[in-house]
Amino acid sequence: MNKIHQGKTFRERAREALKDDFMRQAVRKAVDTLETRKEEATDALGNWDQWREQGKRIREHAVENLDYYLSQLAANVRNNGGTVYFAPEAKDARQIILEIIKKHGGKHIVKSKSMVTEEIHLNKALIKEGLDVVETDLAEYILQLADEPPSHIVVPSIHKSRDQIAELFSNVAREKIPNDTPSLTAFSRKVLREKFLQADIGITGCNFAIADTGAISLVTNEGNARLTNSLPKVHIAVMGMERLVPSFADLEVLLTLLPRSATGQKLTSYISITNGPKKPEDLDGPDYFYLVILDNGRSRILADTEFRQSLHCIRCGACFNVCPVYRQVGGHSYGSVYGGPIGSVISAFLTNDMERYGGLAYASTLCAACSTVCAVKIPLHDLLLKLRHRYVTHKYTPAAERTVFKLWRTTFQNPKTYRLAIKMAQKAQSPLVNNGYIIKGPPPLSAWTNSRYFPKAAEKTFREQWQQQHH
Amino acid sequence: MEQLGIPEQDFINTVARALGRSEPLKHAPQRDIVGPPDFWQEDEEIRKHSLELFKKNLEGLSGRVVIAQSAAEVQQQVKTWLTELEAKNVICWDHGDLKELLQPETLGVNVQLWNDGHSSKELIDVAARADVGITWINFGIAYTGSMAVLSGARTGRSVSLLPPTHIGICKRSQIVPTMTSVIKHLVDLRGQGHLPATINFITGPSRTSDIEMDLSIGVHGPYRTWVIVLDEQ
Repeated sequence: MNKIHQGKTFRERAREALKDDFMRQAVRKAVDTLETRKEEATDALGNWDQWREQGKRIREHAVENLDYYLSQLAANVRNNGGTVYFAPEAKDARQIILEIIKKHGGKHIVKSKSMVTEEIHLNKALIKEGLDVVETDLAEYILQLADEPPSHIVVPSIHKSRDQIAELFSNVAREKIPNDTPSLTAFSRKVLREKFLQADIGITGCNFAIADTGAISLVTNEGNARLTNSLPKVHIAVMGMERLVPSFADLEVLLTLLPRSATGQKLTSYISITNGPKKPEDLDGPDYFYLVILDNGRSRILADTEFRQSLHCIRCGACFNVCPVYRQVGGHSYGSVYGGPIGSVISAFLTNDMERYGGLAYASTLCAACSTVCAVKIPLHDLLLKLRHRYVTHKYTPAAERTVFKLWRTTFQNPKTYRLAIKMAQKAQSPLVNNGYIIKGPPPLSAWTNSRYFPKAAEKTFREQWQQQHH
Repeated sequence: MEQLGIPEQDFINTVARALGRSEPLKHAPQRDIVGPPDFWQEDEEIRKHSLELFKKNLEGLSGRVVIAQSAAEVQQQVKTWLTELEAKNVICWDHGDLKELLQPETLGVNVQLWNDGHSSKELIDVAARADVGITWINFGIAYTGSMAVLSGARTGRSVSLLPPTHIGICKRSQIVPTMTSVIKHLVDLRGQGHLPATINFITGPSRTSDIEMDLSIGVHGPYRTWVIVLDEQ
């Protein structure tokens, strides 16, 4: 990847991130803004909790009956004149998309923002084949120029400063582009408009497919998804297999939840509902429409009844915006395409790499803010706790930690050893105590005291106090 | 091409197994919850104030809404705006109601209608160079200040998308309280097999906050979304 993914563990990457003052300030500002707007928008709507409940039930129903709805969706997409492909793994999806492009002799590809194409590392594969691929969402375009992955699922480039952006654009323009927002936006509009007009292939994600109609919906503010599915002759939509709703009426509920939850807007500037290719008599729109439905670990989550509900996610990013951990370390610390609380839950399953990503369960204070704001009521903190349990059961925690906990368990299970341990602690701690806390402990306690104070053991145990007062 | 990925049945079987079923569900599952919550009703109150709500909400997004009393007023308003924009080239839907109301040939600027008198490439080029795109609005949504536009042979998607200014025109009867009304209509269209290839909900101008969370208008789509509603008393 690039410099951002150095550091093997979350802890190491986070330590690096904590030194990046600009990023941290930018992230704080962004998440506070988004969260405040969300609060205002949801208050204005009223009955937010009932809307969330409705959204949850709709997503739950869709996920619990995904086999039926996927068949229905595929049949309807074909009825609309589209083609459907099923990709079990990321590599299958990449191969399918490449073959479609080859079949149509495509050379110039425009992409509108899509997390699922990030997940399958599509751009790299297309560029390797010598194709011209351009991200058209402003943030994604910036990240493409910087060769960096997104750090937030709604505002992917919040970690970049306007000076950095101006520098990236100036390199493309071969002249100095000023760093004010209008100049930067105008530049990207000009460059990308040309790309849109010459593109022969448009690739989008899919916010929600509508099973009983065979349509896909795309939600954007910039209009890049509209351009991507209006101008090129071929439209390829890539969707994670769980991202569907049964009917049009259900879509209305998710469109009520998603923009408010993501950015505090009633609706985004553009919502396109696309049913396959253009009609024969239409004069713009794609001649060919392909839907690529991706599993890539989702059936693993589906089969796991404890974690199944994480598939209800509508990718609004609200959990990022309230997470105290995300706020401090930013999106790249997670080392996964999906960061934040939801990313911490699903990454290990999507990648089937518990060893590498299971530890993200510890990128959480378990404060439950994420569950409180989730647009479809996924109990994220609860899932993070369950994930910790899995991680420990798989014995991925450090050996020293396991030994300490074993010792602790043995000691605390037996009243005699427990009392003895407390007595020893009371004696041993005295040189370390400062104002009622141990501030710098020896190993293994240092693992705790490096970042937190450890409360000292009480002068008198509860039992001693009880006996003094009640005999 | 056909053997790309895996066969649908294999994929669906995997999903069914993950759900703990021995074979995929063949019949539509029972549902007790469909669509918006019960309390979400388009009552008389909101219906009565639809037009002012639509205006307030779209103006809140930096759009403009003018309510005209007659066809002549609609034409005059469009001319005023074209003058203000110093517009020379206009691309316009070839849409019956719109043409009747607007009389495009009288606007005094270069107007290209979107129809098969030209190739699609020519039309897209004209739209990309036009100063203004004019469309009919199939529905205005009061609650969000949105326009719903349906694509078709004479109602190209590019017209509301490529020019820097989009002017939408409709009659008061097309302003509906919430998206619920539009969805109902779309479901009816689907039932008749007349669903267009694309339905676009447009809520204000193109925008982004991708640069340091600073709002910027007009990234890829129009900078200006202006609307005229004909309200004949």
